[in-house]
Amino acid sequence: MPRLIIDDIEVEVPGGSKVIEAAERLGIVIPRFCYHEALGSVGACRMCAVKFVQGPFKGVQMSCMIDAQDGMVVSTTDEEAVQFRKRVIELLMMNHPLDCPVCDEGGQCLLQDETVSGGHGIRRFRGSKRTYRDQYLGPYIQHEMNRCIHCYRCSRYYQEFAGFKDLGPLQIGNRMYFGRFSDGKLESPFSGNLVDICPTGVYTDKTARFKVRRWDLQRAPSLCNYCPLGCNTVANAHYRGVMRVEARFNQHVNGYFICDVGRFGFSYSNGGADHQMRPLAPRIAGNAVSAQAALAGAGKVLRNVAEKYGPRAIAAVGSARNSLEVQCMLRRICRNRDWQGPVFFFDPAKLRKTRSAVENLDGEIAVSMREIEKADLVILVGADPLNEAAMSALAIRQAARRGAPVIAIDPRPVFVPCDLMHIPAAPAEIEPYLALLVGRAVEKDSAGFEKKAMDFYRALLAKFGNTEPPAWIGELSGQLQSSRRPVIICGTDVTRETTPAFAAGCVRLLRLAGKEAGLFYLMAGAGSFSSALLCGSDTLPTFADLIGDIEKGLIKALVVAESDPFHYYPDRQRLGRAISKLDHLIAIDYFPSETVNRASVFYPASTIFETGSTYINQEGRVQFARQVHQGGAPIWGGEHPPRLYRNFIPGGDHLPAWKVLWEIAGGSAADAAPANISPAEFIAAENAVFEVFGSGNYPVDGIRVLKSRSGPEGPWDSLTPGSEPGPGACSVRGPGQDAGSLEKSTGSDGLELLMVEWMFGTSEFSAWSDSLDAAGSEPYMSMNPKDAESVGICDGDRVSLELDNGSLEIMVSVSHGTAEGVLVVPRHRSLDWRKMKDFSVRVLPGKISKLI
Amino acid sequence: MSKYPQVLFRNRKPNRSATIEEYRESGGYRPLEKFVGGRISPKKIIELVNESGLLGRGGAGFPTGRKWAAVSDSAPFPRYLVANGDEMEPGTFKDRVLLHVDPHCVIEGMVLCGYSFSASKAFFFVRPSYESSAVIFERELEYARQAGFLGNNILGTDFSFDIVVHRSGGRYICGEGSALLNAIMGKRANPVKPPPYPTDKGLWDKPTVVNNVETLACVPHILSNGPEWFRGLSATPHGAGTKLYCISGKVNFPGAVELPIGTRLSEIIEEHCGGMTPGSRFKACLPGGASTRFMTGEHYDVPMDFEDLKNIGNRLGTAAIMVFDHKTCLVGAALNLTEFFARESCGWCTPCREGLPYMRDLLWRIENGEGQEEDISNLRRLCKEVWNSYCALAPGAAEPVISLLDTFEDEVRQHISQKGCPFHAKADN
Repeated sequence: MPRLIIDDIEVEVPGGSKVIEAAERLGIVIPRFCYHEALGSVGACRMCAVKFVQGPFKGVQMSCMIDAQDGMVVSTTDEEAVQFRKRVIELLMMNHPLDCPVCDEGGQCLLQDETVSGGHGIRRFRGSKRTYRDQYLGPYIQHEMNRCIHCYRCSRYYQEFAGFKDLGPLQIGNRMYFGRFSDGKLESPFSGNLVDICPTGVYTDKTARFKVRRWDLQRAPSLCNYCPLGCNTVANAHYRGVMRVEARFNQHVNGYFICDVGRFGFSYSNGGADHQMRPLAPRIAGNAVSAQAALAGAGKVLRNVAEKYGPRAIAAVGSARNSLEVQCMLRRICRNRDWQGPVFFFDPAKLRKTRSAVENLDGEIAVSMREIEKADLVILVGADPLNEAAMSALAIRQAARRGAPVIAIDPRPVFVPCDLMHIPAAPAEIEPYLALLVGRAVEKDSAGFEKKAMDFYRALLAKFGNTEPPAWIGELSGQLQSSRRPVIICGTDVTRETTPAFAAGCVRLLRLAGKEAGLFYLMAGAGSFSSALLCGSDTLPTFADLIGDIEKGLIKALVVAESDPFHYYPDRQRLGRAISKLDHLIAIDYFPSETVNRASVFYPASTIFETGSTYINQEGRVQFARQVHQGGAPIWGGEHPPRLYRNFIPGGDHLPAWKVLWEIAGGSAADAAPANISPAEFIAAENAVFEVFGSGNYPVDGIRVLKSRSGPEGPWDSLTPGSEPGPGACSVRGPGQDAGSLEKSTGSDGLELLMVEWMFGTSEFSAWSDSLDAAGSEPYMSMNPKDAESVGICDGDRVSLELDNGSLEIMVSVSHGTAEGVLVVPRHRSLDWRKMKDFSVRVLPGKISKLI
Repeated sequence: MSKYPQVLFRNRKPNRSATIEEYRESGGYRPLEKFVGGRISPKKIIELVNESGLLGRGGAGFPTGRKWAAVSDSAPFPRYLVANGDEMEPGTFKDRVLLHVDPHCVIEGMVLCGYSFSASKAFFFVRPSYESSAVIFERELEYARQAGFLGNNILGTDFSFDIVVHRSGGRYICGEGSALLNAIMGKRANPVKPPPYPTDKGLWDKPTVVNNVETLACVPHILSNGPEWFRGLSATPHGAGTKLYCISGKVNFPGAVELPIGTRLSEIIEEHCGGMTPGSRFKACLPGGASTRFMTGEHYDVPMDFEDLKNIGNRLGTAAIMVFDHKTCLVGAALNLTEFFARESCGWCTPCREGLPYMRDLLWRIENGEGQEEDISNLRRLCKEVWNSYCALAPGAAEPVISLLDTFEDEVRQHISQKGCPFHAKADN
């Protein structure tokens, strides 16, 4: 721990800290451009010069390049250093176009700040300015190279940190250019971070370009609610619309960055680009009514149904996009009023998997995204990080950059921006392969295992059976054996129901073998963790149960809060018929969804930007998104500024969904609760782990609600040798057995259809965010070359897939990265895939036909 | 013929390179047979090179033996040698001449160097303008392989070593060791600040020695004749060996000559270059390439060695002597050089990338009659400030400019007061 003196203040810093970091601990922010905590020091801009007065270094030196050492005396205000920094600014400003009045970076520009604070004001350089041609970089990033100060942050972020190569430095000397070889869409789905990382206006947010000045924005800390990671953001609103979203630093979750979906996928909140899509008016039977009338109408309908048919004739449906407030309110109402539900998951298997993940995760084994970066080996178990939770792919890359091997056991052609050892395994093969990998790695330690662990270990070995192990196992299990901090990332989408618990058991076994092993689950939707917690061990109905009851006439009214069964349920025909059998469909939402269109009573819900909302991410971290703006119909076109004065906000009737639910369910009149019930009260009451909300503690931000440690009993017991392995039981192929088992899987059972997530395009949010239309690519179905050959299909063909209720047309991508025996299809918004009788489907070879 | 012993140039012939036979006849490849063939300890080679006092000929003058010894015995394999043939310093052309004169001398030096630290592969890094050198070198490498001096199991021993000619995209910055290594690895040729030093982590993180072509060519001669002989070649007591001097400018016979290191400037110009051109008087010279200081007649008799030039505040650099006469405008000369350095900056750090074009702009204005009084102090400050840049390119580029201001300030002021170049005055009128 070196001690040094900076500007007459003594400071002790961890070994290896740079002087610029040491100064930051004292609150002294030394000017910088190229230095960035996430990217490290490279000494390019020469802006962070300070004077070294005593110690091993002397004179003006770069504070980002020198490790803090004992006995150093550093001055940041020494005249020589100040004059040098002033000169660096002068040099950087020689060619800068000074177009701040028309630059979107204006008001948040590091170059502006350093120029003013550095004291450079008068231009002495008499030459003409250098100019560049800008490039088209796609729909999100605006390029303006004339503003560049060549700090290399963009290329270091883009190439080194994020692992994409299509943007970087070109040319030399003062002709240096940062861009692509030629114009074109940036390939990285993390390109939006260029906007945040650029210290000036070379890369600006194209979607927000020229719309508003920085200082006119309403800004508040928010969250991304696309996936369960809960990346921290700052949302910026203006004139009742969200204008842009930026990354917000969180040392446990997303670090400095977010993905492009989270950054650019907010347009649903504004009703799309033309601001027309979002339903903002309360409706009864399709007619706009006042807010009071809609609330009273819905309340009356529900009272009538309860009186006439009993409370069980009412059912409530939420989803994984609900905030914790909405989910707790749904749960409270259903319990107090004896309604059926709530249902949060449409696929009961996914609920069971998520619940198993939530039960198995404890404070001892759970790792955060930042801890993944420090792993020395990463195993992806039925997890496709980029598509299921994009920022985790970036975290995995950081581990790989530090030398961690990354192994994927997954049926999909998984892509991560780093070297990957991918073992294409059908869902049923995932556990045996993982068992083999972990079993081999802990072999030499197994003698010391306690009985329960030993039983688990035996069960693990039994998983693989007597089949000859594949060739790769020796090398990979060796790597696992020599690792110190392995992390298993386990998915809950394509995996079997037993896999999440099995993965947890493997992590515990690795810990018993002396490793600091960690576990990270991927789930679907920002509210997955909390909904699984709330569903607890109670026997709540599944969505299929509700449909059955509707069909039988037992359910007369359905309350759907921020959810669209038409998006999730695989049998659209049946769902449509059932919905039309209902007497009342009450929808509370911000999407113009099919459910909203069919609702007999509709009430507009506030989005995450318009009301404070709490989410628990997939590692159990409670986070709070603050209200950014009031909401209402965005001011669009017309006069600027608007000259029509009203005493109400047009389109301003929306309410947080939990308040609407509270009102229509009778509010405090029907509940022994105060009239102004606060979220803290009804959240804390729902589950013991929500005690952090006790005594009115609201909002809660940044606290993990995990058991400190679930003893060995829990996870060990969840896996026994005979436990249900799911459809298509262990059919592991050993060498030389490929043909036989393939025949088995294609011949008798057909191919297993895996419906999966895609980064741009499968989430409910992306379906209503037209800002994401320009990203991503046409969806395709992946299949293994052997399967493709056996049904006579080539890469790039268009096929028709005959499903239970009709056919699905899709392009085919044939790749070795896809496991044999599966068809991988994204639940893409542009595909009409909801023609299946169940979530789990097998397709016989004869049902796949090539389209000419 | 020169009155001094010719070592590197002993096989110099008009219009063609020495063949492998001619090289062997002159005693070539005998050190290789003795040391590699005889399996003499590699440590012995390093010892002899250390004793010889050989200093790197690329410009910095680092002791060669010490660089080789920096590769520790326990360092990982494979280890690499790089011969730096990115000769792009203005006025420097010795490596090209040497490669054309006696390529096998360089090849043998490389094998011996590789043997000394157990390297298995060498890269001969050559710039695109030296395509003819690359062609010759590649051809002669094949002869050396056929003769068993290169490739697998050299001379039947278990030592295998091969040389690859790496044709680079070529830029001045590639001459900088770490940038050169980046370029070989297919990365952008930006310098990287040590540590780690290339001898610890160089090419692909493996130990790598980077040497100048001329340095390597000295090695076989040191090993065949001994370190005392090599030190005795010098004209000064502290120097060692001969030196290839490249003389350009206003002399009668410009070119590359091999002379004892430490030969006096006056002798070089008058005896070996036939004196100044008719009607020319010596005004100044750059003693070691474009990144050294202008040296006036005051030091006309200075011994051209690393130490003697250091003592007068200058550098021997690559020993490329550019001679300027009394009719040459040194502002114009400095502008020309700054033009080169500004163009060749790799663009990594601000003082170099933006500061050198700024200096060029100011010099251009002074030379073209747009100079102002404060430009001089501004230039002085810029020259001082580029010392805080990332690598040595910009400080080197500032040398001719700051020495121009120190030594020829009157000439610069004359430009400003006359609003134009006094040397062009007649032509302008």
